[in-house]
Amino acid sequence: MVIMAWLILALPVVAALVLAAPRSERIGAKVTIACAVVSFALSIAVMLSVQGGGRLVLVPHWFEIDPLSALLLLLVTFVSSTAAIYSSGSIGKSQGTVRTRLYYANFNLFVFSMLSIPLIIELGLVWIAVELTTLLSVLLVSFAGTGEALEAAWKYMLLTLIGATTAVLGVLILFWALQSAGSADFTWSGLRDAAHGMPAILVRIAFVLILVGYGTKVGLVPLHAWLPDAHSQAPSPVCALLSGVETTVVLYVLLRLRGVFLDVPSTHVQTWFAVSGLLSVGVAVLLILQTQDFKRMFAFSTVEHMGIVLTAASFATPLGDAAAVWQILAHAVTKSFCFYAAGSTLLVTGTRSIAEVSGLIGKSKRASAALLLGALAISGAPPFAVFLSELAILRAGLLSGHYVVIGLLATFIAMGFFGVLFHVVNMTCGRPKVDHLPRLPLPLACSVTLAIAAVPVVLLGVWIPPSLLRLLLQAAAVSGG
Amino acid sequence: MGLAIGRSGMIAPTTATPPVGACYVSRSYMIESAALNLCQLAFVLGVSPLLAGILQKSKELVQSKRGPGILQPYRDLRKLFAKDEAVSEQSSWILVVTPYVIFVVPLIVTLLIPVLTDFPLFFAFVGDMLAVGFILAMSGFFFSLAAIDAGNPYGPMGASRTRMVGFLVEPVIIIVLFTVSFVADSTIPYIVQQHWLRPPANFFSASHILLIIAFFMVILAETGRIPVDNSSGHFELAMIDESKALEFSGSSLALVKWGGYMKFTVLAIVLVNVLTTPWGLASLGTIPSMLLASALVFAKLLTVLVLIVIVESSFSKLRLFRITDFVGAAFIVSVTAMVTELLGQ
Amino acid sequence: MTAWLYHLNALVLGLFILTAIAMVVTRQISACLQVFILQSLLLAASAFLLGGSPWSWHLFALGCVTIASKAILIPWILRSMIPAEVYVRRELSQSVQVPAALVAAFGLLLVGYALGIPLNAAAHSLSPANVSLGIAGLLIGLLLLVVRREAVPQILGILGMENGAFLAGIAIAPDFPLIAELAIAFDVPVLAFIVAVLARAVYQKTGSTEVGSLSALRELI
Repeated sequence: MVIMAWLILALPVVAALVLAAPRSERIGAKVTIACAVVSFALSIAVMLSVQGGGRLVLVPHWFEIDPLSALLLLLVTFVSSTAAIYSSGSIGKSQGTVRTRLYYANFNLFVFSMLSIPLIIELGLVWIAVELTTLLSVLLVSFAGTGEALEAAWKYMLLTLIGATTAVLGVLILFWALQSAGSADFTWSGLRDAAHGMPAILVRIAFVLILVGYGTKVGLVPLHAWLPDAHSQAPSPVCALLSGVETTVVLYVLLRLRGVFLDVPSTHVQTWFAVSGLLSVGVAVLLILQTQDFKRMFAFSTVEHMGIVLTAASFATPLGDAAAVWQILAHAVTKSFCFYAAGSTLLVTGTRSIAEVSGLIGKSKRASAALLLGALAISGAPPFAVFLSELAILRAGLLSGHYVVIGLLATFIAMGFFGVLFHVVNMTCGRPKVDHLPRLPLPLACSVTLAIAAVPVVLLGVWIPPSLLRLLLQAAAVSGG
Repeated sequence: MGLAIGRSGMIAPTTATPPVGACYVSRSYMIESAALNLCQLAFVLGVSPLLAGILQKSKELVQSKRGPGILQPYRDLRKLFAKDEAVSEQSSWILVVTPYVIFVVPLIVTLLIPVLTDFPLFFAFVGDMLAVGFILAMSGFFFSLAAIDAGNPYGPMGASRTRMVGFLVEPVIIIVLFTVSFVADSTIPYIVQQHWLRPPANFFSASHILLIIAFFMVILAETGRIPVDNSSGHFELAMIDESKALEFSGSSLALVKWGGYMKFTVLAIVLVNVLTTPWGLASLGTIPSMLLASALVFAKLLTVLVLIVIVESSFSKLRLFRITDFVGAAFIVSVTAMVTELLGQ
Repeated sequence: MTAWLYHLNALVLGLFILTAIAMVVTRQISACLQVFILQSLLLAASAFLLGGSPWSWHLFALGCVTIASKAILIPWILRSMIPAEVYVRRELSQSVQVPAALVAAFGLLLVGYALGIPLNAAAHSLSPANVSLGIAGLLIGLLLLVVRREAVPQILGILGMENGAFLAGIAIAPDFPLIAELAIAFDVPVLAFIVAVLARAVYQKTGSTEVGSLSALRELI
């Protein structure tokens, strides 16, 4: 089992190394897909072994897998598999062979960095891993090579590196507080144990710095300025990875640290989380209403969902934690599917503008069906998973007495529902534009990806596999305390 | 009487205590003190043209030229004293008086600062560093008036620019002086110098090096060095500090030039003896120790000259409206020194 | 002996904050890079001085790694990847004028002290001044990022922020487990490389590295 866990981490690196060899363009896509699928299978095996609440120790004090990290491993490997399959269809036709090789190598390294974060339990190493995810995704975002893509990549890099540097100061101050409490165990559990002895002012300042620093990567308002640009200009499989799992993985770090900060009452963690969560949801929903680019719309939806998870985490109740974890799962699979749908629409129509895409259902049935399905799923319509998780969050909030928060949250979610569906319905069922552009066929790999990614989207709304349910509950227990 | 500004912010007059080495105010003390004062005046009078000559020669050598001799300023002064003077009929008494003011002001300042000795001399408590700053400003004030008085078209232009640089530099000087006085609990230069001297640990602090840098920038601005002004330029339209000497001739010009050399020397002595390297000054009033102190102070002044030559050869003259950036940077450096000193404890 | 090291460290700190302010003020890009090298050397000097007694291998290694990566490797990467003619340019238009930026830098210095003083009061560190000036250095690096429009000063702003954070870090956590050395040794050159690649791509696309003027992507709000 330990070997399997190490293999999950090692496989993307192996794929990247294979791609370093010259003339490996043709097998690039195949190698990536193979490694990603095998990783996914291995992560299912790992998940099955910890679903009962157990803990897989790889290197004591450095690498451990518990249910919450197993859940994230599952999500990352799943989305990377679908993204790899999608890439094989959409990348490579227009780019040269060398750039394709670079793309797949970069892709694999990026997946490796994201896989490493749930495995690490030492906070300093986590910081390095988070910074690596930024560095390894910048060139992917700018892959298209247009002026706008470069601008988006530059903004992304600049803002997230500012966040990372702010976070490193917060991490250092937290370590200082840990040393003042007399301990040197800089792991999640070590921090929780020593939380009572830490000087309050140190923990307060560390918390604010870490929230601002990692919040930039998660996309919390007002630090979200890079997110719509990066997530709209990047190639769609990269968008799926960025939106679906990368922001989630950094949010996971924040959730892990929440327990530490909760033990020091003067940090007001719950208030900060609730305010920044609600602010993110509100501003994102307003921005969804006015956007003119459908990939940006889905990016804003990511901001909205990150805010929803943060708000759920602010309740600090077991039901709230379970709902938050469920929302993470639902969002990861649904958002990646949405981006595949958006990417297919882009491939078919050649434009990102909502106004120019109208009556898509006449042009391409698959793309429009996927788009409709994705929009319904992500905005929280029944019978999809996001609906159930949002309902759980609202229930958790009502049960713990946060009425104002729930009122605002429900309003924003409703507005978001309206906004997304308004745009998407206009795109798919509006009056078809008369144009003489040829009907571009959807590549086979993209259709296959859509089919595969649609399975959990449709399935998880009506049935959760028992092992997955057990894992979710255990993960919630871990994040709660 | 000097002013002592303590950390509580109270200003109280201190009594003039006799220096270490003499425990009573007596006639021999007065004679000795007067003699030492004369030595200091003679040092400043004699050394300042030499410093100007060395600076000019070094700059020329760096530019691969031969340059005038080191003793050229002495020869210039001797020549000028022998020449006739031409004074404009439309000018007033200001033009006549100004050269004397410019000559005497640095000499007054010499009495107030530690030049060769590290124990306070007779006039030491007559004025503190703020007084030094204001006395130097007085000479600048008379300069500007004389430049306008002569009726030369270039005079007021240069005078207005000099005033601009002067008022920009003034906050920096005041902040430097205040920070130093917070550190040493006094504004008297001798006491400040003693404070840096013993114990040696006082010398090392984050604010100290920032103060040194800020004051060095002040010297560059006040004495008309690059990057503020080109001291070897002849183009009247671009002159800032040089324009003051345009209207004078004969012995007036000699006094003005000598006064300029002495002002530079005095500011450099403040930088070197009070702020940067308080060591090497005479602790006793004997002739051997005074000679040794003269040699050491001269060596320290040469180091300042080397720094100025490096700065002048590396940078170009700033455009007029960029001088605010330069002096603004000096201001921020001095304020940073003040904050680091006050909040760093 | 220990007291002398701390006093020398105080001098080094004064120069460090001076370089941080100087980076905001200089208009020439090559001058900005040279001041950054000086700042990194000062950070290494502070690490060596703080690790002098009691002797700390970690701080000594940190200083060596800082010199190797930030003073030697990163300037080499930046100079070789970005065309040389970018460096001789002077930034003529800034979003904030120099005097205003200077005052803002001073204000951030005060904020650094405002954060540093309560932190130092709450816990013990090797050198309290390091903490306050490190936080100030981080904030001034952020100011550099905001004020400049050219790519290279923005990169140097990020690296300057990291210098400030680590200046605070060496006093707070002298035995931070291996991570700091790993981070600098591995992370920062990778960062510089990727950023330089991106800047070169921008240069090839738009003919200049003035990334602050790229504003095609915008919302109505």
